Amino acid sequence: MTDRNPNSAIAPRPNRRSVWKNIRADRELYLLLLPGIAVLLLFKYTPMYGILIAFKDYNIFDGMAGSPWVGTENFRKLFESDDFLLVLRNTIEISLLKLVFLFPLPIIAAILLHELRQMTYRKTVQTVIYLPHFLSWIIISGLFIDLLSINGGLVNKFLGQFGIEPIPFFLSNDYFRSVLVTTAGWKETGWSTIVYLAAFSTIDPGLYEAARMDGAGRWKQIWHITLPGISPIIVLMLILRLGSMFTGDTEQILAMYNSTVYKSSDIIGTYVYRMGLGKQEYSFTTAVGLFESVIGFVLIISGNYLSRKYLRRGIW
Amino acid sequence: MDSMTARVPATAKTKRRRKGIRRSLPEKVFDVCNYTLFALIGLSTLLPFVNLLAKSLSSEEAVVAGRVNLLPIDLQFGTYRYVLQDDAFLGALRVSVLLTLLGTACSLLVTALTAYPLSKPRLVGRKWLLLLFIFTMLFSGGLIPTYLLMHNLHLVNTLPVLFLPSMINVFNMLVIKNYYEGLPDSLEESAKLDGAGHIRILFSIYLPLSLPVLATIALFFAVAFWNDYFNAMIYISDPGLKPLQLFLKELLVSSSDFLRNATLNPDQALNTAPQSIQAASILLATVPILIVYPFLQKYFVKGVLVGSVKE
Amino acid sequence: MIGKIAAITLAGALTLSLAACSGKSDKESSGSGKPELKMLIQYGRFDPNEDYTAKAITRLTGYPVKYDMLPAEEADQKLNLLVANKEPYDLMKLSAPQFYNLASSGALEPLDDLIDKNGPNIKNAISDASWESAKLDGKIYGIPETGSGIAVSEELVVRQDWLDELGLKMPTNPDELYTVLKTIKEKKNVIPLTASKDAVSSLLGDIAAAFGVTTDWVDQNGTLVHQVETPQMKEYLTYMNKLYTEGLLDTELPLNTAAKMMEKFANGQAAMFKLAWYNAPSAINALTKADPNAKAALVPFLKDKSGKATVYAVTGTSWYAVVPKYAKHKEDAVKLLDAKLSPDIFKEMSIGQEGVHYEVKDGKYYPILPKFTDDLNNASNYMTGVDETKYPDYWQARVRKDPTLQSYFEQMQANSEGLVVTDPIALAPPIPQVAENKLNLLQFQLDEMLNFITGTEPLSDYDKFVAKWKEQGGADMTAGANEWYKSSKK
Repeated sequence: MTDRNPNSAIAPRPNRRSVWKNIRADRELYLLLLPGIAVLLLFKYTPMYGILIAFKDYNIFDGMAGSPWVGTENFRKLFESDDFLLVLRNTIEISLLKLVFLFPLPIIAAILLHELRQMTYRKTVQTVIYLPHFLSWIIISGLFIDLLSINGGLVNKFLGQFGIEPIPFFLSNDYFRSVLVTTAGWKETGWSTIVYLAAFSTIDPGLYEAARMDGAGRWKQIWHITLPGISPIIVLMLILRLGSMFTGDTEQILAMYNSTVYKSSDIIGTYVYRMGLGKQEYSFTTAVGLFESVIGFVLIISGNYLSRKYLRRGIW
Repeated sequence: MDSMTARVPATAKTKRRRKGIRRSLPEKVFDVCNYTLFALIGLSTLLPFVNLLAKSLSSEEAVVAGRVNLLPIDLQFGTYRYVLQDDAFLGALRVSVLLTLLGTACSLLVTALTAYPLSKPRLVGRKWLLLLFIFTMLFSGGLIPTYLLMHNLHLVNTLPVLFLPSMINVFNMLVIKNYYEGLPDSLEESAKLDGAGHIRILFSIYLPLSLPVLATIALFFAVAFWNDYFNAMIYISDPGLKPLQLFLKELLVSSSDFLRNATLNPDQALNTAPQSIQAASILLATVPILIVYPFLQKYFVKGVLVGSVKE
Repeated sequence: MIGKIAAITLAGALTLSLAACSGKSDKESSGSGKPELKMLIQYGRFDPNEDYTAKAITRLTGYPVKYDMLPAEEADQKLNLLVANKEPYDLMKLSAPQFYNLASSGALEPLDDLIDKNGPNIKNAISDASWESAKLDGKIYGIPETGSGIAVSEELVVRQDWLDELGLKMPTNPDELYTVLKTIKEKKNVIPLTASKDAVSSLLGDIAAAFGVTTDWVDQNGTLVHQVETPQMKEYLTYMNKLYTEGLLDTELPLNTAAKMMEKFANGQAAMFKLAWYNAPSAINALTKADPNAKAALVPFLKDKSGKATVYAVTGTSWYAVVPKYAKHKEDAVKLLDAKLSPDIFKEMSIGQEGVHYEVKDGKYYPILPKFTDDLNNASNYMTGVDETKYPDYWQARVRKDPTLQSYFEQMQANSEGLVVTDPIALAPPIPQVAENKLNLLQFQLDEMLNFITGTEPLSDYDKFVAKWKEQGGADMTAGANEWYKSSKK
């Protein structure tokens, strides 16, 4: 792995006098930070006290001050509910499936796109494959229900040619997760390639030419030039992906699942949604959100730590 | 900006490449497979839109009976005439365009500025500053305190409420920061020797060299602002300030949701929008933002950057 | 260049936000002494301040009213935020759960005195039974709106041409229905009966009623028992499970949206489904357009073992007009509500002006199209309580704007005449334990019913479901319902 920027790994620890000297020398850097920090503090940190709602029995009309403290009661309610273990397991398993199958897809797609030499074709394809990102999950759900239908859906007709019995993809605990992964891949892969496509522009074309002079084939070029060239962004994406492991799938699953596949696909988000129907459970939902956030944060920090240890590069 | 791209001898380079390649058989096979693969994928992602187009141009009876696939049945253009004459639709379109332009410009600027200092390893407190930003990717105070804040800032029912809070997007900021880090350190050092300060270095060297990533992030912001309906739903009640996606959401929600509760309110069930109009509205609300991407694509062209940096 | 763009956009953003802020000053109408009132209404697909009815109300009552709408989604969330912030609304139109939520948390003004003083028309229009539904701890917190008085909105519809072709008679009970479905399956190879996951009534309704599953609550020797605890429910699920496993009920029932279900019927994939009269024009027209020889007919409500048919009808209060505690013009708000219920104004709000919007033929109101639809399509969004004796007549003008609509509506009402049963707690005031648990338990119940019908869970596990249902709030809900039921009979 090439590291263009050896400093980014570990900066030498400065002593106190040079700290002030550095800050003074870099005051323009702090000036540039100002607008971003201001927006962050005003719009993100000012309302942050709302996290405390998780530890209260919050009534919106009594407000923060008027609602009584209940300690960790709301968390206990989550952890002790009957289906918590099932739902937690589903959440983790579905996230892992998506991570394993879907994280590499846009990288592969971007590299393959990169190998399309005909520019008009490449640009057209790029534009077309990012279309599904703009469809809502409700529409996509309808689309795939038709496609995978057991009454004349294209896929089952095709399988029927080989004598395979119609498969009720949306109604079977054995198949539904693969539907989730496939549809998510179909919807977002094209869109996710964009961030990698931009990274290709940092690769020096001279490297490819030099490699060709040395007689390196396409695979060698991809392996030794393209992949290392975009590895910084891959690492960044992977670490950030870890942070949303627990939260990313709710909207999709709510739009696609039904009670016959709860066993394999009911996740924390969907479960809490159903249990909260018609109730005003601000404290409980905040507690669940906080639980998910803490796990996400821990995952990001550990991801960054491991990445720095083994790849010598991280977000900070 | 244009002078920068012009400096790249792109045509000369591609010519040289074409001549230089003698492709082996496995490489040819690979190419055929690759082209075919993307043709198939592209088809699968395009067909749903063809289907929507066909539905929007068909008679309602044919759509309700599910008879429309890729070609319209009983071709008609009345739906488009109806939607395009709808003042609410046109008003929402105006709001969305304004929001997307303003929001993207402001957010891109603030985010690109913030990323620069954070990409400098010697910045004192860098790790903690980064954690301060990343923390907000995961934790938030929730809707109630945020609404209270907007209320106190008198931002409820104004356009800025839809983009001021998202002016710093941490994900996008990290992507830009990552890109800055990939630029050679020598750039900064030589500029410093010429006596340039950080602000000048950023604006005259880093930003122009980062066009590919800035184009990407501009696209991310534009799409996010264009697609956002949740904030508008919470903060906007003035019909004149509703963006297009909220308009669309309401058009689609009202039909399915009221059917569910129709025993309570048959009037609303009677007033749902025909499916052909829904299809036309989805298309009309999506096409404007789709046009942005091809426009930005020229900034992704390989080699623009390093080719021009080379000393 | 980037710097310039930035400067321009920032300046633009600033001026825009300033303009937006300064535009928000409170308007008080001058002269007439009637202040401008602010009212929050439910979501509808129109501009609430430009609508004909909005202008008619101001013209007729003299009150200028500024309307805001709740969003189509997250309406409860938004309402809570508005109330928590004390947005200065004088009036709100709320759904039953919203009403209970705000009334029980003390956000609403008790109206008893205000109505006594300013509301003679309100008192005339609304029945004692309806008033009960708007009371909490004995005080009135809203004007109840009972709606159009329609009893029945859905009935099974079948392909009559196929019945004729196969020499089948219209089924009258579950056994005959089974035979009909089975014959259709064998001879026509289509989905005999389809249904949708969207409508609550697709699992509860005609067929369920023929097994005695009708109302949410059943009186057993003076005690209320919820339908999930009755043996009839289990019998019904057994029957449906048989239909499902034999392929007589659409295998994709758990996936069908209402639109999908209609699609399957309209393109000849399915022979039978439950049609709501308001969907009749769209479904029936699509069917005859796709196949000109197709003929649809309503299946009369099925009879149970004793030969009796029953139809469950949702009744009770759908909406409440309330005055928030922090409203600025409480008295004027109630005066406006009263004016809207004075006989002439109420009639004009409901069906417009004679000769312009409607005409009278043999004692029935008929709409004049397209004027009626153009002006009055959204009228019911502005209703704040209705004249309970007259509104059903006025309202029916709405179904006479399309012959298919009218014919299906009238047939359903005729078929259900004398068969209608209503829930024993339909007219109860909001019962806390019921209000809090009703929605999520209903979801739980429907999910489980679907699982038993599809065989995802064996029916032998039914008692486990009931135990869990009780534990998740069912027991509380039953206790609350019974507490009110016993006290109401004294």
